Amino acid sequence: MTEEIPENTDADDANFMRTPVGKMTEIRGPCETETPFLSEEFVTDSRHASCIRCGLCLAACPVYRVTLRETDSPRGKIALLRALAENKIDPGEEFSSRYYGCLLCAACANICPSGVPLEEILQTVRDDMQRHKLEPEVLARLGQTIAQHHNISGENNTNRLIWAANMAQEPSGIQTHETADVVYFVGCVGSFFPRSYRLPQTMVQLMDKADLDYAVLGGEEWCCGYPLLINGQLDEASDLIHHNLAKVMAMHTKKVVFTCPSCLHIWNHVYPAAAGGELPFELLHATELLADMVDEGRFEFREMPARRVTYHDPCDLGRKEGIFDAPRRVLRAIPGIELIEMRDNRENSHCCGGGGNLETFDAALSQAVSTGRLTQAQEIKAQIIASACQQCERTLTDAARRNKVRIRVMDVAELVLQALDEG
Amino acid sequence: MLSENSLDDLRAIVGDEHLMTSPEALVCYSYDGTFHESLPDAVIHPGSTEEVAAILKLCNRERIPVIPRGMASGLAAGTVPLDGGLVLNLVRLNRILEIDMDNMMATAQAGVITADFQAEVEKLGLFYPPDPSSIRHSTLGGNVACNAGGPRCLKYGITGDYVMALEVVLADGRIMRLGGKAIKNVTGYDLVSLFVGSEGTLGIVTEVTLKLVAYPEAKRTAQAVFPRLEDAAGAINAVLRGGIVPATLELMDETAINSVEDFLHLGLPRDAEAVLVIETDGDQADATRDMQVVAQICHKHGASEVRVAQTTEEGDELWRARRSISGSLGRKRPNKLGEDISVPRSAIPEMIARIKQISAKYDLPIVIFGHAGDGNLHPNILFDKRDEEEWQRVEAAVGDLFGAAVEVGGTLSGEHGVGLLKRPYLEMALGMTAVEMQKRIKQAWDPNNILNPGKIFA
Repeated sequence: MTEEIPENTDADDANFMRTPVGKMTEIRGPCETETPFLSEEFVTDSRHASCIRCGLCLAACPVYRVTLRETDSPRGKIALLRALAENKIDPGEEFSSRYYGCLLCAACANICPSGVPLEEILQTVRDDMQRHKLEPEVLARLGQTIAQHHNISGENNTNRLIWAANMAQEPSGIQTHETADVVYFVGCVGSFFPRSYRLPQTMVQLMDKADLDYAVLGGEEWCCGYPLLINGQLDEASDLIHHNLAKVMAMHTKKVVFTCPSCLHIWNHVYPAAAGGELPFELLHATELLADMVDEGRFEFREMPARRVTYHDPCDLGRKEGIFDAPRRVLRAIPGIELIEMRDNRENSHCCGGGGNLETFDAALSQAVSTGRLTQAQEIKAQIIASACQQCERTLTDAARRNKVRIRVMDVAELVLQALDEG
Repeated sequence: MLSENSLDDLRAIVGDEHLMTSPEALVCYSYDGTFHESLPDAVIHPGSTEEVAAILKLCNRERIPVIPRGMASGLAAGTVPLDGGLVLNLVRLNRILEIDMDNMMATAQAGVITADFQAEVEKLGLFYPPDPSSIRHSTLGGNVACNAGGPRCLKYGITGDYVMALEVVLADGRIMRLGGKAIKNVTGYDLVSLFVGSEGTLGIVTEVTLKLVAYPEAKRTAQAVFPRLEDAAGAINAVLRGGIVPATLELMDETAINSVEDFLHLGLPRDAEAVLVIETDGDQADATRDMQVVAQICHKHGASEVRVAQTTEEGDELWRARRSISGSLGRKRPNKLGEDISVPRSAIPEMIARIKQISAKYDLPIVIFGHAGDGNLHPNILFDKRDEEEWQRVEAAVGDLFGAAVEVGGTLSGEHGVGLLKRPYLEMALGMTAVEMQKRIKQAWDPNNILNPGKIFA
């Protein structure tokens, strides 16, 4: 099967993410308060749980663990927001750097015993920064690119199926479909970044082997809007969301399946409101679909050599969507795999470094975080890190290369396919 | 305010990126784990003992207050600046320097996180028992400076019992080594013990050599549920009289149980007045037998249920619950004042009764939890600091709490230290002569009063 999959390329396929640290477009003067910072309510309104500064979040925050600076800690970010609300500081470059120097991984929200709504706070500050046109320039550009091209890489969106071009057998799902039981929403990274082509290629092969009636949307799939959501530019995502909804609805589908946890996240949390209520189809991550297919006995695995595999929980799939067991169930079903857990796992998982657009804003910091995660895999002598997100796979693969560590990073789906084929 | 010249000199010592003066940075270094806050003039992050020495030399010459700090989990406002000055953040000193298997000791820099240190020595089958609830977000230097305790201190002792040697930087910048690896050492005054718990007022701890023990082969963790708080208090003494020394014997009252259950949803008994979290350890036979005896005693003294964790994960969950109590109280009221009284364990039932009376007298919720087995309780007063009248009641209640602790033969603080919060009550606990002698020690070590000024003593 491997000959139809192009080798990983070293080409810089994520060039939108390699821009230097963004400079601020404009700094608000201390008195220009005509548009309020909505996020300030989290620290001024007593209906919200207050941060009592216990400090538990420091140990959980991957960014703090790298920089060891209180200014980068979740507790510090809350203190900064309060200082902003009390007009002691301005939302200038330093304030902004602290809030964009964040993975939005929600590890802090998960550990906070006081129940401070950190996930909402960290996002609402970004929304405020965007409304005040104070977001880093490099992130503002990303928004423009998506609005114009309907994808994150600025390519012609009609090239969405380029990943399928060299496959030995044309996947059934890329042929024109009026309807389909399952719509596979590929996502921008899998569609446009050569290093990630392997993921949709694998997924369609698995669905074909299982005889599923599935379809992909090709050029009619637009960016899901997630990068805009976390940039505080959700207003600009409306066209994308309505377009995607209309195209999927037209397929009369039963299920929409995602290999990208971030796409799944926005579909789960934002799309229903845009559709005016509950969606008439089920949203599934690929690992859930695979787990079902394993349970239904649709796959016959062959004998495989013994391998020590650890599973990295992507933040958007684990902590944010609560999907922890399906990928582990799939991995346990594959012969030869000894599933071992890293120090931080499941709800307490450690971000790969790729969250929150941090890679765009501060690549060095993102890399330091990914090295930290890689170290946890080394500690338990894992041979393979399995994950279920193309972004995690890319950042962790890069970390392994950079640090010259012999650990392979693979998607759960790839491990399934490998165990099916006769080589 | 620090002069521009001083700031330039400090930059020259650590490099530009390790001196912070922005308003944003000052805000983030103005607090600890309490509600107190006050801005420093600058924050410095030294990367070596030599840099710490150069910084202190300069600050001593220029009379700049220096406030040493690790991860600022403190509960006595000990690392909050009072009158500007320089926050000395020691977290970059975070290397474990040696694990000496022959002597069963390890040496680490002050900024190493305690849980990381424990994990490293455990890889070699060794055990560093002190386990403050802040174990994942506090540093060895901070633990030494406050003589931190934790649940396991009941059996294993406190931080100070493990400190063999220290490297410290004195107020004038001289570097000094105290103690050593010799187990018996009566050569001169015991300056190691003097430094342990000195809260950064005598010098800056930069390196610590800690004694280790063998990692216990087995442990059993249990939750004993008591419909009545008084019975739990009685059971604590009965267990200890029964000839068993559990590794831990922790108390959670009804509010603590409910607060942490709101956060973790572990199925804790919301209607119980108290839960004891008990751990026994040793070899397999000892840990199991001790737990059986403990369970019998608890049942005899009014426990409605004693549930022993069946898996490591279940035990870990129980400990996560215990460690999360303090933080979870933020769900109840906007502010909390966590006290740290320590009483003879025979006085625990009496002390708990008195806390209840004080709570009723001032109409303030006071949550009771803590290391009941060694008499160290954490009554936490819940309040809203914006309510001036309520705050006055809080202050009066604190005075009564300390008064009660001293009256039953106890003291103000078991493990948090005096810092700023307990300063007004020091003389009540120690007497005038003892305070005067301690002030003279401070004067001898730090004649210009640059080291954490205003802490412990006014």
